[in-house]
Amino acid sequence: MDAKGNNLPYLSFREVSYSVAGRSILDRLSFDLERGETLVLLGQSGSGKTTALRLINRMLDPTGGDVYLDGEPVRALDPIVLRRRIGYVIQDFGLLPHWTVAENVALVPRLLRWPAERQRQRVGELLQQVGLDPATFGSRRPRQLSGGQMQRVAVARALAAEPALLLFDEPFGALDPLTRREMQQQFLDLRSRYHLASVFVTHDLLEALALGTRIAVLHAGVLETIVTPQEFFSVKTPVARAFLDTLPKTTTQGACQ
Amino acid sequence: MDPTVIRTLLGDVLQLTGEHIILVGVSCSVAILIGVSAGILGTRHATVRRLSVTAASVLQTIPSLALFGFLLPIPYIGGIGRHTAMVALVLYSLLPILRNTIVGITSVSPPVREAAIAMGMTDPQILRLVELPLAAPTILAGIRIALVTNIGTAVIAAVIGGGGLGELIFRGVASVNTLEILAGAIPAAGLALLADAGMSLLERKIAPV
Repeated sequence: MDAKGNNLPYLSFREVSYSVAGRSILDRLSFDLERGETLVLLGQSGSGKTTALRLINRMLDPTGGDVYLDGEPVRALDPIVLRRRIGYVIQDFGLLPHWTVAENVALVPRLLRWPAERQRQRVGELLQQVGLDPATFGSRRPRQLSGGQMQRVAVARALAAEPALLLFDEPFGALDPLTRREMQQQFLDLRSRYHLASVFVTHDLLEALALGTRIAVLHAGVLETIVTPQEFFSVKTPVARAFLDTLPKTTTQGACQ
Repeated sequence: MDPTVIRTLLGDVLQLTGEHIILVGVSCSVAILIGVSAGILGTRHATVRRLSVTAASVLQTIPSLALFGFLLPIPYIGGIGRHTAMVALVLYSLLPILRNTIVGITSVSPPVREAAIAMGMTDPQILRLVELPLAAPTILAGIRIALVTNIGTAVIAAVIGGGGLGELIFRGVASVNTLEILAGAIPAAGLALLADAGMSLLERKIAPV
């Protein structure tokens, strides 16, 4: 049950399709997601996973079916208001290069006209949480940061206005393996701390297994299967099998335990 | 040389330099207003972009002397005098400003634009907070080209009674008076150099990242 006293899931896709110029990108995708859960959309390039993500915050609108957030169809919501309620992190960071780190993190609170003092406090709190000292990093520009630091700032920015839903589009794809690992750990901490719902796009099975509470395998715009990470190893569908075959055997055994 | 001649010439130079500055200043300001607005609209509507860039390009290809000639017979904006010169100078300055505004805005990197949209910025906010600040150096570079070119073109405005330093040059040429020619040409070149240096300073000052 959510705050409104109904039994609707927090985020729900009902037979959602998207096509452009007669070409189907996404075909009747359905799934539900509760707060505290992470749905990983796993698939190759062109499988429609980024499209699915963009249908949630109305950067695209479905050509069929409906997306529901907190019981309301998102198509009935003002996209600007909707987007300010949803955190969004992309692979290329998308930090505003002419703004400082602190200004970047304060972006959505600023759009929502929070008082300056509350913005400042929130920025300090968030930079701390993603492991960046506010005094050192707050006044820097994005170009003075490493890739890992930029993505920390982007994650802090996505969390700034206390969203209940986070969307991640291959956020850690451009990072080195060690930084990536750290960021994944941080993601898990943030998820449990804020009881967040999140949709996470990746083509990395290990990442999917580490972060997902459920994994949806997309292939050519069609949902092949949707399972928990534990169930993933016994799935028989072809694309899921193909992803499993990319794992070194020892890793597969280790993760099975 | 007769000191009264020198004194008269000096007076002319001062007055005509003033006229020149007004001619350039007013026409450039109007061109910035129109060029930047049309450029912004052009980044929102492909048709506006096509039409405005084509029109400005065509205007730019007309030799400046011919453009002054074309305007003469047009009612209201044409005729002999300063306002015709102003109109011609505005038209002539549009292209670099318009084109650089469009280039500057459209070259904002896709992830930056995507993030701005995804964070819930409205289109005017994206323009004001993201696109214009990031495009500013490019737009200024366009204004710089327009301004410097304009100072040179304004010399020709004298043929249709536009005033400015061109008057001295044309008068000098007609009377084969080198002193008069130089008295017009040197301040005109000086103005152009000064404008260029000033704009370069401004560009460096606002170049943010």
